[in-house]
Amino acid sequence: MIIAKDLSLIKDDRTILDSISFAIADGRWTCLVGPNGAGKTSLLRAILGNAPYEGSLAIDGIQRFGDQKINVAYVPQIPTIPQGMSVWEYVYLGRAKIDGWGRQSSKGQTIVEDILDQTNLVKLRKQHISRLSGGELQRALIARALAQEPEMILLDEPTSALDLHHQISVLDNIELLKTRGVTIISTMHDITLAAMYADDLVIMQDGQVLLTGASSEVIHSPELKRAFENRINVFTLDSGRPVVIAEKNQRT
Amino acid sequence: MRSSHIWHWRYAALASCALFLASLVAISFGPIHLPFFGAMKTLLGLPGGLHGQERTVLLDLRLPRILLAALVGAALSSSGAVYQSVFRNPLADPYLLGAASGAGLGATIALTLHPNTALTPLFAFIGGVVAVLASFFISGKFFAEPATLLLSGIAIGSFFTAIQTYVLQRHSASLRPVYSWILGELTVSNWEILRWSSFYIIIAIATLIVISKKLDGLMLSDEEAHSLGINPSRLRVIAIAAATLATATAVAAAGLIGFVGIVVPHLVRGLTRRVTNRSILTIAISGAAFLILADFGARTILSPAEVPIGIITAFIGAPFFLIVLRNRRVGG
Repeated sequence: MIIAKDLSLIKDDRTILDSISFAIADGRWTCLVGPNGAGKTSLLRAILGNAPYEGSLAIDGIQRFGDQKINVAYVPQIPTIPQGMSVWEYVYLGRAKIDGWGRQSSKGQTIVEDILDQTNLVKLRKQHISRLSGGELQRALIARALAQEPEMILLDEPTSALDLHHQISVLDNIELLKTRGVTIISTMHDITLAAMYADDLVIMQDGQVLLTGASSEVIHSPELKRAFENRINVFTLDSGRPVVIAEKNQRT
Repeated sequence: MRSSHIWHWRYAALASCALFLASLVAISFGPIHLPFFGAMKTLLGLPGGLHGQERTVLLDLRLPRILLAALVGAALSSSGAVYQSVFRNPLADPYLLGAASGAGLGATIALTLHPNTALTPLFAFIGGVVAVLASFFISGKFFAEPATLLLSGIAIGSFFTAIQTYVLQRHSASLRPVYSWILGELTVSNWEILRWSSFYIIIAIATLIVISKKLDGLMLSDEEAHSLGINPSRLRVIAIAAATLATATAVAAAGLIGFVGIVVPHLVRGLTRRVTNRSILTIAISGAAFLILADFGARTILSPAEVPIGIITAFIGAPFFLIVLRNRRVGG
């Protein structure tokens, strides 16, 4: 379990996270939702252990900053693409923490082959990673994270810049991780999609956590409407799925 | 299913064959032709080897020169490959952080003080290291942002070149020796230069080969590298320190030999179609072979006169580079 207590993150004299406290349960999909600048990506980096912070942010009592013992996979919003690397080589990088850098094991090779199959990348295995479309690249990133066999995966806006068809395909791929008991923490703009897939939501704004809880509760709570200045409406579809629709500004 | 890492050793073995053949050609041919078998016997300490002047040419002139060419070629090409990974820039070369201009200023000062001074390599080495350290110091945010280091390297390089030009203007008599040093020279090689330069270059290349597997992580963002178990800042510092040591030593020993650090890594990556940093060993061996051949060209094309090796590396390197670039399936 991740427990944050009075967690603050200050960068270039700017307060990115302002003394926040929350808890994230193991084996569930938690989605950080909020507008740009809310501090979602910074919080993900802090959880990754790559950003220094004040206060406490710990998994099972171990502070996150600098820790690399816990196997945490990271899927960035805009990945740095290694020029000339094939999809197979790129996905295999995910094995580095387990097999060792530059090493390949027969178990690792089998796992990567399976993952390429699950993520529909088999035909693209020899393709250069730099030549993939947005949706394919996102699948390759998730495949690399799957190859890492992580205890936890952090995904920064995994569906941004994708059309709806690819959004669903990517989110379904992320769900593959959940079936393996991996703790998933993602950021997302789209609160409807977030509520559809994630178990829990953390609503953030201006470096603060406004609201946390199970998706089904958070999405229907009056605090959520207040957080969006009463400019959203939540409808429930016949399937029971909630849909959040923003209200247009009424000009007077 | 991909065979484990056989390709890696296969290419390294191929490059070693090229290096061996290049060495054989370079030992035997030159302004003074040495009988091949006699030369081999001398090198192997067998009876029936060379005598007199031929023996001196082989052991005191040609052999140290070939070995130095190999060392410098290996140093520049492996450093270039590492810089390209660290800065995620295929055009990064070993002189990027001011090592060349710093060494150039050091050599200019030494040659201005005395045209034939034996202190030139020492001054060049100090100049190169000082320039790179200045780039580190000024960039400050280097640990977070490699691009900042790159920009400060360019600024430091320009600054040192400006001072060098000023010193040269004030001492125009040293223009010729400085110019010839800038074009690279292996003519001055001897066992003494080889002794100290091999010490630093071997340490540096060994370090680069040891960390080479992890360098693939630097081709990703720092967050991704961290998640895969790498400390990107620390790895960058080790990589740049080792590459700078190799470059500064190479420049101090043989002057500024351009193009090797860009051409050889791309050539190897293009021919092997592998971009991973495991090929650094192959790149180092290929760089050694490349510079031995370039030096062989420098010695023989206008024999008995010598062509500056920097001109040869550009002459051989540029067309090869363009062919590989045109045909490459690596990159994109």
